Amino acid sequence: MNIFAELKRIIEELLDLEDREITPETLLVQDLGAESIDLLELAVTINSRFKIAVKDDEIFLTRFRLYSTEAKQQGKDTVHYIAVRYPFLDEKRIAEIMAHIKEGPQLKIRDLISYVTYRLQGV
Amino acid sequence: MSLTFSGNRALVLGGTCEIALALAYAMIESDLFPLLTYRDDKGLNAIREALQPFDGRYDTCYLNFGDRDSLESIFSQIGDDLNFLVDFAQGNYESFIAGADEDSVYSYFTENISFRAEILKRAGRIMLKKRKGRLIFISSAAAAKPNPGQGFYAAAKLASEALYRNMGLELGGRGVTAVILRPGYIDAGRGRIYLQKQDQKFLEMVPIKRAITGGEIAQTILFLLSDSAAGINATEISMDGGLTSGK
Repeated sequence: MNIFAELKRIIEELLDLEDREITPETLLVQDLGAESIDLLELAVTINSRFKIAVKDDEIFLTRFRLYSTEAKQQGKDTVHYIAVRYPFLDEKRIAEIMAHIKEGPQLKIRDLISYVTYRLQGV
Repeated sequence: MSLTFSGNRALVLGGTCEIALALAYAMIESDLFPLLTYRDDKGLNAIREALQPFDGRYDTCYLNFGDRDSLESIFSQIGDDLNFLVDFAQGNYESFIAGADEDSVYSYFTENISFRAEILKRAGRIMLKKRKGRLIFISSAAAAKPNPGQGFYAAAKLASEALYRNMGLELGGRGVTAVILRPGYIDAGRGRIYLQKQDQKFLEMVPIKRAITGGEIAQTILFLLSDSAAGINATEISMDGGLTSGK
C-alpha cells in the first residue's frame, strides 16, 4: 500500500481540497491551513484507515517545543532527546524542524508517513 | 409532533437508575437501541426486569466508573457504532472540604472527572468518524446551588459539565453536539427517597410546587436526543420547576 497516496487522499477529503499540489514536503498548517479540529479528524481517520493506534500528541509533534526546552534545561543534546520521544522521526528530520521552527508549525506530510510506517511495523 | 433521530445506537451510562430505565423504555419505543451499563448484579437484574417486554431490543454492559479495563470492554462491544451517549453516572462523596480524606478526594475526582474525560474522548472520536453524534450529561440543580458537604459532588458535576460543554464547542462543526440537563427535585429513585424524608412543606419552595417525575425527565432527554433539538448545543438546561431561578 502506498502510504503517501492514501494519506493524500484522506487529507484531500478532510480538508476539501481539489487540485492542490500535495507532496511529502507540504506543511499541513502553513500550506494547507489545517486547524486543530482538522488534525483531530485526521488522527481519527488515520487510525481507522490504517488500523493503527494513533496518539495525537505524537503524530502531530505537539510537544516538540516542550521537549526542546526540557532538553536545554537539563543540558542534554536536543536532537537525541527528541529522537527518543519521537522515535518515528530520524535525527536529520528533527534537526531540520528545529532549524525552521520559528517560521511556524513544521508538521509535514512526510512526518505523517513516518508515523504510519513506524506504527505499521507493530512498534 | 413526532420525533426523528439521526441514528439509533445509544450508550446509557449508569443505566440502572429509575430514570435511565424510563428513558430506555422510551428509547426502545422510538426504535432506538440502548446499551445500558450496570455495575453489579442488582443493577443488571433491575434492567432486565424493567425492560422485560423488550428482549433483544437493548443490550447491557458492565461498567465500574473508574475501572479502565471495563471501559475497554464496553468500547469493544460498541465498535464503531455509536450515535448517542446519555450519562447518568455519578458517584457520591459528601464531606466538608476542610474535613475530607485526601485519598478519597483523589480517587473521587479520578473516577468522576478523569474517567469521564476518557469516555468522552473515545465516544467523541467514534462520533467524529461519522460526523454525527449527540452527547447528553445529566447533571443536577445541586451543581449550581450545593449545600455544605456537597462541595466535591458539585466540583465533579461542574467539571463534567465543562467537559461536555467543550465537546459541543469543539466538535459542533463536525456534527457532534452536547447538552447538559440539570434536573431539580425528582420523584424517582434516590430523589424520591430524599423527598420522603422531608416535611410536607418542602416542595413549597419549588415554583411549580411539585417534584419533577422520572417520566418527564425521560421524555425531555428523548427530545434532546432528537433532530428537533440539534440546535441546542454546549449549554445547560435546568429542569427544576423554577427552583434555581428565584431567591
